[in-house]
Amino acid sequence: MGIPVFRFAPWQPPILPDVECAAPPSWRWSPSLLAAAGTAMAMLLFVLVGPLVWQQDPSQQWLSQVSSGPTSGIYARVVGPIPAKGTGNLSRLTVIESNTERVHLAWPEVVSVERFRLYRAKQHQSGKGLPLWQGRDRSYTDELQLRRQIYRYTLVDADTGIMLFSTETRPEPAISVFEAQLQGLIPASAAVYPEYVRLPAHPLGTDALGRDILARLMAGGRSSLFVGIVAPLLFISFGAIFGGLAGYLGGKFDHFAMRSADFVVALPFLLFMILLRIAFGIGPGEDGILPLILAMLLLSWPSSARLIRGQVLALRSQPFIDSARLSGVTTWGIFRRHIFPNVLPVLMVAFSFAIPQAIFTEAFLSFIGMGVSPPSTSWGAMCNDGIKTLLSHPGQLLWPAAMISISVLAFNILGDALRDTADKRSGGVGQ
Amino acid sequence: MREAKGIVTGKIASAVMLIVFAVVGIFPGLPAQASAVDLESKSITLALATEPPTLHSARATDTIASFVISHMMEGLLRYGENGELVGGVAERWQIDENGARFWLRENATWSDGQAVTAQDFVFAWQYALRPETASQYAFIFYPIKGARAVNEGLAPPDSLGVRAVSRTELYVEFAQPCPYFLSLTAFMSYMPLRQDVVEHWGRRYAADADKMLYNGPFTLTKWVHGAHLTLEKNPHYWDKSSLRISRIDMPYITADPGAQFNLFRDGQIALANLDTGLLDEAVKRGYDIQHFHSGSLFFLEFNFRAGRITANRSFRKAIQYLLDPAVLVNKVIGLPGVLPAYSLFPVTVRGQRQAFRQEYPVRRLRQDLAVARQYLDQAKRELGLEVFPPLMLLAGDSPRAVQEAEYYQYLLKRGLGLDLRIDQQVFKQRIEKMRRGDFDIVVAAWGPDYDDIMTFADLFASWNDNNRGRYSHPEYDRLVRFAQNSASASQRFAAMAVLQDLVVDDVPILPTYENAMLYVQHPQLKGVRRSVFGGDPNFRDAWIEP
Repeated sequence: MGIPVFRFAPWQPPILPDVECAAPPSWRWSPSLLAAAGTAMAMLLFVLVGPLVWQQDPSQQWLSQVSSGPTSGIYARVVGPIPAKGTGNLSRLTVIESNTERVHLAWPEVVSVERFRLYRAKQHQSGKGLPLWQGRDRSYTDELQLRRQIYRYTLVDADTGIMLFSTETRPEPAISVFEAQLQGLIPASAAVYPEYVRLPAHPLGTDALGRDILARLMAGGRSSLFVGIVAPLLFISFGAIFGGLAGYLGGKFDHFAMRSADFVVALPFLLFMILLRIAFGIGPGEDGILPLILAMLLLSWPSSARLIRGQVLALRSQPFIDSARLSGVTTWGIFRRHIFPNVLPVLMVAFSFAIPQAIFTEAFLSFIGMGVSPPSTSWGAMCNDGIKTLLSHPGQLLWPAAMISISVLAFNILGDALRDTADKRSGGVGQ
Repeated sequence: MREAKGIVTGKIASAVMLIVFAVVGIFPGLPAQASAVDLESKSITLALATEPPTLHSARATDTIASFVISHMMEGLLRYGENGELVGGVAERWQIDENGARFWLRENATWSDGQAVTAQDFVFAWQYALRPETASQYAFIFYPIKGARAVNEGLAPPDSLGVRAVSRTELYVEFAQPCPYFLSLTAFMSYMPLRQDVVEHWGRRYAADADKMLYNGPFTLTKWVHGAHLTLEKNPHYWDKSSLRISRIDMPYITADPGAQFNLFRDGQIALANLDTGLLDEAVKRGYDIQHFHSGSLFFLEFNFRAGRITANRSFRKAIQYLLDPAVLVNKVIGLPGVLPAYSLFPVTVRGQRQAFRQEYPVRRLRQDLAVARQYLDQAKRELGLEVFPPLMLLAGDSPRAVQEAEYYQYLLKRGLGLDLRIDQQVFKQRIEKMRRGDFDIVVAAWGPDYDDIMTFADLFASWNDNNRGRYSHPEYDRLVRFAQNSASASQRFAAMAVLQDLVVDDVPILPTYENAMLYVQHPQLKGVRRSVFGGDPNFRDAWIEP
């Protein structure tokens, strides 16, 4: 990074009234900076205000709607535990009951066929599709992850492979009585229940356990951004104080501080993350957010400490500091009046670059299972969940991945812009 | 200078290209072009999930070793084409309450040409039971008289109740009636071993392809550790004329189902297992997907050690009335062929004449939220608790196990207001924690070792080491003892039916699902036996169709 080492006292207009001075250049709000700042704000609003607007429980599992695409609120039939009975003589493969909880099929006896095999395919799929069942019965109830789409069932002689019957059906949306009771849609002990209940909308669909992806993005973003902001805040403040003291006091303390920084830089992050988890007595199944933040504090402070130490070291030998000291300004006063304002832009830049890094660290630790633990989630953990269904339902991975990428990019651009502004400010003083 | 450099780079590039062409041209037959099945040489190519840790039949425990051993060794009996027991090294046999007698084939030979004798079996079984062998499967010999004492080091190995009456006659004495002993003799630990060869190689026996002897249909001709195994037809096998495959090549070792599927798609291997993510892809490509019931039972096991909430029956009943295995199987797991489990005994367990579950159907409970909550209130009163502390659910670390655990966590929270903490552990660590009793509920599984109902039934007897929850119920123990000592098949199975009902009633475990394997197979490859017992898959009777 091209951060200049020298910083000067804030520019002050000369007292001479008749000399005209150039005003310090104003901040430039480039479109990319505006967009980045807007996106970062939008992210924060999304995770903080979002849950107030979209009041779904992020861990609620709608098992009747597993891995569904975006849905609006629908009415679903409440289905009891006992399937409908087939009636009379059948002449072909007949759909007796068809809803997303179960498709009940029955077929007639076929001469010389002992064992049947039933296949299920989506409407536009070629071939027979997925083998569901094989046996001697003449009826079958399919309950396997049914969705609202047209299915084609094919009945085949299991021994010869000859196709016997085929039929198509489109199951109507349904929910089982048990699940409706579990979700509190109908009272648990009621013997009589309504025929239809209304299911909530899922604008981004649901994941493999039927959880609303939008609500999970908000909840996951909260832990991701919490770590992303709190951890840098802590380790940069610590680094700034430690480095500032080292630079100002110099001598033995400086030596000690810098050698310990060297030592910490040499420690492997992941290993210490795991050790800290154990040291903190974080049992299995408990959230690892606190040790994660502490590990980042313990292992990430040296870079900001070195940065600030260098700044303070350079400032300390400036004539205006000497003159301030000679005029009797206290050490605290020098810090407050001269040193702090001069290192603040550098601090801001370091902070805004640390945020995306921390978000990313949290995401990758959660991805490998070292971060949050269920039922709470984060964007990284959501990516880990989604990778299993990447081929069939890519949205479950792409949404959280997009959120990570966008927020990391936004904070990076923001940091870049802040650095440019800081540079301009230093350039403007001399003019 | 710049020019010259450019020329040099060009030369290097063309040299590299030349080498690449040369390598490709010289070795056209490298695995890159191996074919899944080859009709001319009667060979097939497969991928292994992992390398077998050992191929020593007395020490091996895993399924991969069981697969390889079942092709290169043959026990007294073996499983035939339809999963029935047929003669292996033994030509005929006779079994009663007190023991079993086997007459060995004259023409059964080792791969060095020497005959397989009764003494080879006596040595192998004594060897497996010695404490210094430390075989994890030693318990499978316990139906033989004196086996437990030998294994615990209380008696010398030659006190074991098995003796070679003559070179071709073997007599086994039972500790208690053991009607399933014949199926035990097909298990890998019961394979014969030649004393001189085992003692010559010592600890290095079966560490390489040339450091062991074979008596089965195939011999291991190549074993490049971590990379490549090859089985070839055994020229000394007594029944070699019935083999229709002469070579099984395994040049790939990968546990990733995606990689295996890609190899299958490219026509490089003849058989590939599928998992959930690959199902759609396989359907899209129009493959003939097959499934087979692997015979293993998955269940939630409760901890009965003192002070555990899960030791309370009402508490377990509450969970039983809440958890519907059918929902788990159909919505969460979502693989065709996997069956919801309601009984301790999977559908593959044999009964007296047909499947046990057909003879004695299991009592089904209807899941009911109101009843579950009543039971929980009752548990609260019985335990004198105001609120339940968080419970620890020990689970595996596979994607499916994690998803399953999250489902339980949600269900218990939503349905009963219980907090469940998920403890994900790798297999070894999970087994260790189960052994120590460091859990409240554990997601466990059990695969059958031999073809008898007892492989599941004695699992929760108070004396069984694999009873990780330390469940102890006098009636359960009594039924298992009764069945073990009863010579009458109808009485045995009647007792097992009572036991099945007891498990539903007292809930020592909560069965969740019976696992199935989905796989795709090369259309020209026929006669592959997928089986619960005796090594899976089995290619002994397979052939390649033109």
